[in-house]
Amino acid sequence: MVKVEGYEVPEGLYYTKDFEWIKVEGDKIRMGLTDYAQKQLREIVYAELPSSGTVIKQNEPYGTAESVKAVSDMIAAISGTVEEINTEVQSKPEILNEDPYGKGWLLIVKPSNLQAELSNLMDFNQAVQWHKTLVKEG
Amino acid sequence: MTEETRRTQLYEVHKKKGKLTVFAGFEMPIWYKGVILEHLAVRNSVGIFDISHMGRVLVTGIDSERFLNHVITNNVSALQPNSAQYSVMCNANGGIIDDFVVYRLNPEKILIVFNASNRKKDYNWLIRNAEGFDVEIKDISNNVAMFAVQGPKAEETLQKLSSTGLSKIGRFKCEHSRMADVKVFISRTGYTGEDGFEVFVWDASLSKPGNAVKLWNAILEAGEFSGIEPCGLGARDTLRLEAGMCLYGNDIDESTTPLEARLSFVVKFRKGSFIGKEALLKQKNEGIKRKRVGIRMVEQGIPRPGFDIYDDEEEKIGYITSGTFSPLLKCGIGMGYIRTVQDQKRDLINIKIRNRLIKGKIVSSPFYDAEIYGYKRKTTT
Repeated sequence: MVKVEGYEVPEGLYYTKDFEWIKVEGDKIRMGLTDYAQKQLREIVYAELPSSGTVIKQNEPYGTAESVKAVSDMIAAISGTVEEINTEVQSKPEILNEDPYGKGWLLIVKPSNLQAELSNLMDFNQAVQWHKTLVKEG
Repeated sequence: MTEETRRTQLYEVHKKKGKLTVFAGFEMPIWYKGVILEHLAVRNSVGIFDISHMGRVLVTGIDSERFLNHVITNNVSALQPNSAQYSVMCNANGGIIDDFVVYRLNPEKILIVFNASNRKKDYNWLIRNAEGFDVEIKDISNNVAMFAVQGPKAEETLQKLSSTGLSKIGRFKCEHSRMADVKVFISRTGYTGEDGFEVFVWDASLSKPGNAVKLWNAILEAGEFSGIEPCGLGARDTLRLEAGMCLYGNDIDESTTPLEARLSFVVKFRKGSFIGKEALLKQKNEGIKRKRVGIRMVEQGIPRPGFDIYDDEEEKIGYITSGTFSPLLKCGIGMGYIRTVQDQKRDLINIKIRNRLIKGKIVSSPFYDAEIYGYKRKTTT
């Protein structure tokens, strides 16, 4: 885990420029919002997630995260079928702020085209560099 | 939109301590520590807001009362010195130019405090309609700073600094005073639903903001005992919405009338002629076709401006103009306009949120229990 100007970027994950992370867990992937995203949204009060069985597509919205003031689309990091959603996020959306890479995970997805799509994502080193430019641009 | 962003007397404080945003052309704090925390500080204790971005115009002269009775809808003749009233002013069609609070300093000196987003428009409207009246209209916005100190501990906090006994200033009353050695004008008014004061720092121009900064810091120090929080525009919006108060540009504008917005309590048809009277009278006689309502979500979901309102039979009946997550009620709340139906009371409605109909109900405002929260609360904290 490194911190770029206060934003956590754990190793071993892949990242998108839509502020999502994924972790490959066997033949499934776990997906969530990055620390940077939750800090920008701040005080997340509601998360709308797709139901199990929903087919999601890379770079397309699958749900929303809402703060008091704003609604943000959550954009799928990879394509696949939703196998499980984190229901705790729906009853306690604040865990997205408290633990974005742990308790605040969003979906478990069975990917449909993982190897090809992984090349569209940033690995740890790329993500660290990208966070640096994000912070610099403010 | 090339106009330069503007700043208030407190900008350096906001920049250092808050998260900045641009609102109505002003660089203002959206929050310091977080909207929810600041919101709850005001409901449970006390918070302080910089509202120096608002427009302030002083109307003086022998025709002050007659002039304002002509341009605004409320009855200025009923306004005693050292008193304030909420009002709107309308165009000839009855559309709302702005809503504001009018303060009578003395019989021939009246202060109007209006929305930051309408600073230029309101000033120009007043000037344009002043022909034939012996009045002077002066924009003092840049020479006076203004704070709102709101919440059940507001009086106790400000009393530590004030030379005046604050308990004798009733709601919508105001007077000149000194606080922390600074000349102020204070009124028991606000935009949160809570008890509290608005403090005008008289000698605090943009170029010499010293008094404003000094008093801001003194109030924060005086409120330490009760956990005072500086609050940003985010909490200001959620607080006013929970209290059921309109935000100009969202809930009211030139296409809505005070009757539709359920602000008829500020329209005094009996006081003589005023701009918009004929149109409003006509609408009153014919009946309004839509009305502003408050909505509380029954199912999970947050109404947002622009979302459509459906009845319980899934027919579209209106739209949302303001909506948020209520930090106090912990559910989505909003307000909007629905078609009026004769002899029928609507209760259950649906809001279309991203193509799904989510259940809500029409409720009266304020949204919170007025026996527990707000300036009428019966309990003490």
